[in-house]
Parts: sequence; structure tokens; C-alpha cells
Amino acid sequence: MGLRNDQGIVLRGFPFGEADRVVVLLSPNHGKVRAVAKGVRRTKSRFGGRLEPFTHVDLVLYEGRNLDTITQVSVIEAHAGLRGDLDRVLAAGTMVEVIDAVTQENESSLRAFLLLQRGLSALDDGPRHPDMVAAFLLKAADVVGIAPAFEHCAGCGRTADLTRFSFAAGGVLCERDRTPGAVALRPGLTGYLAGLARSDLANLPDHDAGFSGEAMGVTRRFIEYHLDRRLKSLTVDG
Amino acid sequence: MYEAPVQRLIDELARLPGIGQKSAQRLAFHILHIEAEDANRLAGAIVAMREQVRLCRRCFNVTDSEECTICRDLRRDSSEVCVVERAQDIVVVERTQEFRGRYHVLGGSISPIEGIGPDQLRMRELVVRVDDEKIVEVIVATNPTVEGDTTALYLARLLKPLGVKVTRLASGLPVGGDLDYADEITLGRALAGRREL
Repeated sequence: MGLRNDQGIVLRGFPFGEADRVVVLLSPNHGKVRAVAKGVRRTKSRFGGRLEPFTHVDLVLYEGRNLDTITQVSVIEAHAGLRGDLDRVLAAGTMVEVIDAVTQENESSLRAFLLLQRGLSALDDGPRHPDMVAAFLLKAADVVGIAPAFEHCAGCGRTADLTRFSFAAGGVLCERDRTPGAVALRPGLTGYLAGLARSDLANLPDHDAGFSGEAMGVTRRFIEYHLDRRLKSLTVDG
Repeated sequence: MYEAPVQRLIDELARLPGIGQKSAQRLAFHILHIEAEDANRLAGAIVAMREQVRLCRRCFNVTDSEECTICRDLRRDSSEVCVVERAQDIVVVERTQEFRGRYHVLGGSISPIEGIGPDQLRMRELVVRVDDEKIVEVIVATNPTVEGDTTALYLARLLKPLGVKVTRLASGLPVGGDLDYADEITLGRALAGRREL
């Protein structure tokens, strides 16, 4: 036990005791870290404002038996712009929720960390792409090794006749391999989804309003199927 | 383990927030040693509060009648409503003696991460009040957290089309604090919201 330095993005926090808060952060090297921030709910707290969700911080932690205690915090990136726009803050909430669901404590999570960092920056920097969250969810699926197949049949690997999408099989299926639960997709949607999955979050393909709702629907069902849980943030309608 | 009646009280007290086994034990033995009359008064106060207190039908503050004392007070300015997360926050704002309007208790804040949406809060009731009570200004006094800010943004989106002015409590430096110790986010907001002297 002693002091250690770390950095992380604040995922969430909850009240603890009289004026403390337990903060859950995603560290690139240590995975999810739970730490107590003492007295941060008091208005005179020196670093309460730095430990709000979405903030990328540099920390000094005092290692405890159960929970570490945060002794110093400095902000690397506040993403303060997110908090001024309802749609962006809701999108950031979904990004954080899915990353929270797929990462573990004491397990390196560099890819998940970098993805979240890029996602929050892309949301904060420019005008919000309507399919930013769908693209993020597809990338999160890739990070945990369940990236859906869009360009070849998830059953046989064929690249032709891809007409169905199976949540259980993990991607598109050809007519020959179609399973009873596989859903029919509109022509062009798989290409649109593949484009979202491939592109950098800061440089997504042009938005197609015709595909947008369906792209999000398929992606959401896919992620929820494989995580075996509902994404609560997507039930909040702004 | 103590004798059953003592242990029962310790167990009940230990269920209260912020009270551990040791504190519960200390409180139980204190109650054991006070006058019977004082113990009965304490027990009576707990029972009476539970039986008599309900939510104000207008603002959802805690009250012992149909409407709370603030809503019944005709001297209060009915054109201004201060929106708070919890009933306890009303007392905090009242202590400032700066606000003479009425209140509305939402019962929490929007939390995308926890899946708490506007439907789980008393938003619809606020919209009805804005219409019925000819409210001119809604002051959003939710906490300056991501959840509180999200709630404020949602309220602005919901209420502005109704022609009502929606304002948010300012964020800034605590009185008596030292600039040196201010975090950059709070200081940034203080700069953005600076006032001409």
C-alpha cells in the first residue's frame, strides 16, 4: 500500500457517506478503478468539479485495502462542451455505459480507453454526427472481440447474396445460411453499417437519414444481445 | 449480542444512513439511559412524522396538509418557480432569503448512465403548473453535476416553447474561498458568467 499515479476517464460516481463520492474511472492500464473522493460533495471541495463523468483526469491515489482514496486530481481534458448540449450529453452517457459494461477491474483496457477518449473528443469537438453512437457501439463490439460481420456471411464466409442479419450468429448471413431468427435488412444498410464500423469517429461517412434509425436499431439490438443487458441510457429520451 | 430489546433497537438504528454498528450501539445505550418521557417523545416524533407528512399536491414539498406552507403563502410571488431535485433543497434556497417565489420538487435528476429519464421525474406536473399558474420564470436549481446540468437542458427544451423564461443558478467561486484552490471547471464557469461592476 502507498501512493500511486494513474490516469483515467470518469465513468460514473455515487454518493458515499456524508460528503464523499465513490468514483468509477477507466484507466488505460488498470481497467476500471473504484476510488473514494473525500468531501467532494461539499461546495468548497477542491476537486469535486474535476471528477464529474466524461472528464479525463490525472490522479494520485492512496491505495487502501478495499478502495483507493483520491488525493490529487488534475484535468487532462474536461469535455466541458458536452455538458452544454442535451443530445451530446445523452450520447456521451451511452458511450460511457457501454464501456462500463465491457471493461473489468484490474485488467488492462487500453483499446477501450482509447475508443472512449476518441468518442468523447469527437462528440465534444464538432457537430454531432447523427450516427455517432451507432458507430461507437460497433467499435466497442470490435474492442471486445464481437465485431459483427458485414461484408461476408457469418456462417460460410461468402460475400454474395447477403440478405439477413443474425444477432446470434454475429453478422450478416447469406440466403443459404439464413436462420429463423435472422432479420431482413434493406438493401444498402449493411454497406452503411460497415462504413460506420470502419471509419474514424471524427470522420464518419456522410449521414444517410434513410438508414439512420435502422442502423441504430440493429446496432443496439446486437450489442444488447451480446451483453445480455439493456442499455439504460438509450431508454432516456431527450 | 445484547438482550433482545436492546439488540433490536441497535439493528434498527444501524439501518439508518451513515450509522454503523458502533454508532447504533452508542445511540441505543444513550436512549436506554434517558428519561422514559424523552424516549417516548422521540418515538412519538418518528411515528407522527410518518403518519402526518405527505407531499404537497402543488410542488411536492413535504407537508402535513394538502399544500405546503410556501404554496399557501399568498405573499409569495407565484410567477417565479424554483425547480429543485429534492425537498431538502428547498430549505437550502430558503436560507438565502433571496428568493420569494414558489418551488417545484422534481424528485431526482435525469441520469443517462443510470437510465433515469424525464418520465420518472415530475416534469409533466411542472408543465401543467406553468400553464395553470401563469408562471413567467422557471429557475433551475438542480445540482451542478452532469445529471443536474442534463436536467436543466431538458427543462429548457421542454419549457421554452411555452414562452416561459428558463434560467439556471450560476456556478462560481464559493464566498470566502481562495482562488488558488478553485478547480479549472468551476473557475471557467465563473469567468463565463462574470458580471459587470
